[in-house]
Amino acid sequence: MSYPEAALSRRTLLKAGGTGLAMAGLASLAACTSAGSGSGSKTLTVAYFGDQKAADAFRKRIEPVVRKLDKSVTVRVNGTSGTDWNVFFAKLLTQIASGSSPDIVSVATEGLQLMASKDLAMPLDDYVKRDIKELKSYFDDVPASLVEAMMFQGHLYELPTDYNAGNMYYNTALLQQAGVAAPTEHWTIDDFHAASTALARNKNTEAYGWVVRLWGSWTSFLYANGGNLLEEGKYPGGSWLWDAAYKGDPSAQGRSGGWKWGDPTANSAEAVEALQYLLEMKRAGLSPSPDVSGGSDLQNLFAAGRVGMAIGGGFWAGGLANAGMKRGSFDVQFFPEWKSQRHLFGASGFAIFQKSDKKDLAWEVVKELSKPSSFDVIFPGNATTPARQSLLTAERYATTGPQNWQVFGKTLTEFPTTAPIPAPPYYNALATALNQRTTQAISSGDVKSALDGLQRDLEAARSSAGS
Amino acid sequence: MSASGLAMGGAVRPRLRPLQRARRRREGAFGYAMIGASFALIIVFTLLPIAASLGLSFFSWDIISPPRFVGTENYERLAADNHVVNSFVVTLGLAVAIVLLQLVIGMALAVLVQQRRRSWVRGLFRTIYYLPLLASTAAASVFMGYIFNERFGVVNYYLALLGLPDVPWLTSSTGASATIVMVAVWQSVGFTFVLFVAALSSLPRDVLEAVALDGAGPVRTFFSVKLPLISPTVFFASVVNLINAMQLFDQPFIMTSGGPGTSTTTTTMIIYQTAFQNLQFGYGSAISMVLFAVLIAMTGVQFLVARRWVFYS
Repeated sequence: MSYPEAALSRRTLLKAGGTGLAMAGLASLAACTSAGSGSGSKTLTVAYFGDQKAADAFRKRIEPVVRKLDKSVTVRVNGTSGTDWNVFFAKLLTQIASGSSPDIVSVATEGLQLMASKDLAMPLDDYVKRDIKELKSYFDDVPASLVEAMMFQGHLYELPTDYNAGNMYYNTALLQQAGVAAPTEHWTIDDFHAASTALARNKNTEAYGWVVRLWGSWTSFLYANGGNLLEEGKYPGGSWLWDAAYKGDPSAQGRSGGWKWGDPTANSAEAVEALQYLLEMKRAGLSPSPDVSGGSDLQNLFAAGRVGMAIGGGFWAGGLANAGMKRGSFDVQFFPEWKSQRHLFGASGFAIFQKSDKKDLAWEVVKELSKPSSFDVIFPGNATTPARQSLLTAERYATTGPQNWQVFGKTLTEFPTTAPIPAPPYYNALATALNQRTTQAISSGDVKSALDGLQRDLEAARSSAGS
Repeated sequence: MSASGLAMGGAVRPRLRPLQRARRRREGAFGYAMIGASFALIIVFTLLPIAASLGLSFFSWDIISPPRFVGTENYERLAADNHVVNSFVVTLGLAVAIVLLQLVIGMALAVLVQQRRRSWVRGLFRTIYYLPLLASTAAASVFMGYIFNERFGVVNYYLALLGLPDVPWLTSSTGASATIVMVAVWQSVGFTFVLFVAALSSLPRDVLEAVALDGAGPVRTFFSVKLPLISPTVFFASVVNLINAMQLFDQPFIMTSGGPGTSTTTTTMIIYQTAFQNLQFGYGSAISMVLFAVLIAMTGVQFLVARRWVFYS
């Protein structure tokens, strides 16, 4: 009996193949297991928008806060990086789908309705009703407009910890060199244009810099021009909160169960005029071609003295200080008045996941994080604007600036029509379409055609999302 | 030697001792285990995902709620979706430009390097041209995004020193497409270059000497002799490069976000946006299956056309 070279029986071949398959199967199972959320453990998992280094620093800051509540709990913070919130949500949802649900997630206005509409975040109504007395100092300190921005269909999903409104920053030295007086509270779009024209005489600077995104882009001009990307409406409900927490507060009158974003209005006359205005700024050499970006490059250019004016929120104070700008070398003012002086803002806080098996502990953590003592622990260095108005003090901005820091709080109180950015449940599709159509308008010069396209994109996105 | 063996005309194998037989069995088993493992990985990480994607393309699934069967609805929607159709046109345009430049530049570099007499010079250039391929595409794209930034990029800085106006490398449709092609070719031409260097190095010396004796110049020698002889390598490079280029993602995603407008939005970007950003995994799977079919069709066409110009010696 002879054997051909390297011949094998079918049984051996099957064994070998089976071993390979088993090994691959085990490898994939191991991968799945390691991605588990640690459900049932004494580990509180927080999803955080930032790279892992920032997430680790965040964990170090919040762990003492959590340990005060339960010494046996450890905190794990999973950092997810991205250029903007839409990228963060895309990655977060993929993690959730793979079975890696966190207990708490830091969510800004951009993703609140997305999380709520998908039943990923849980309403805090019952907890708030139960602890309403304990939360009195919180609600007394936080403007109703911020809380309303965290509601969806009558339910409250987050206690806002911070926010950023689209104010106008300016480089004081560049303005002085251009012979332009610092803008006043009630400056107008004409004043802004005159300041830009004067700044543009300096060939080494960009008079007005901006980026393509939803928050603080041409959308700020759109708000001031009386328009929006989506029809504005409000969900009914919410009286359970307003009656209990804001009784007698005039700023809470007319508040509802959250913002309801309706039909797209992206090609309205106001929208076309707003984007056309910025295109004319570019043509006149007052503004460069903007990048699609989260804004960090713009902030760096501003800090380097290359940009005269730019839209920024309270988070710019810390960012500019970190980039080396001294207090007094920059300042901030309200966004200029066009048809109105309405501003936009985005708020942020911590939501609890429906799937969390540590909801009670998570709620205690959320409450703890909303306390004044926690703010600088979790957001050191004026990295954002505190939702608690009692924290907006001269002392806070004594080191970083700006000198006109009162603007941050007054934006909400003195302009009651100021509203959150339009972030419906289909925010990701909206952000993508907005970025694409804005760059199309800038590149082609045909604003109307680009915004007609945006209108179609948003209608399709809304239809797909079933809104 | 047995009579039956001779009658069958086959080579007669020497009888092996039991120990030799056992060793050969072990070697054979080891070989099949290796093949089995890689085959299993292909099944788990390539064939099963393709099958799952095909199945998923008939469902509506937002990753959170249970999938809902929708039949061919996703495919019907796809045909009428201007964004998707446009992405195929954009991808095809970019891919053709990338592949042509990869072939031409890769060949030119390979010929030039082959002409160097000193081996260390050839080695140095091979390393230099191959180096970009080792860099992470994402990192290289971020880097290139800064270099070509209209406002603060190095390229426009030097153009300004020469008194030239700023070029909208990434903020005009033409500029963005050209820059994406440029960066993609810069990073991947090393692969084509190495293939061509290897092919040119293995050309039969006697044929080249005969051509030289016949008095053919370098241009004639290249187009009439060398190119036909290495045509199988050119064909292989064109097939592999086209498949890769049709899946272009990193450069447009990072450098232009698909813009301005949708001028650099490739099909893989649309798949990512549809599935992972808009949570329409069924529709995203349908688009990916169409891309898969397009790639198979294009490769098939390349094989058919290759019969006319590829020379297998």
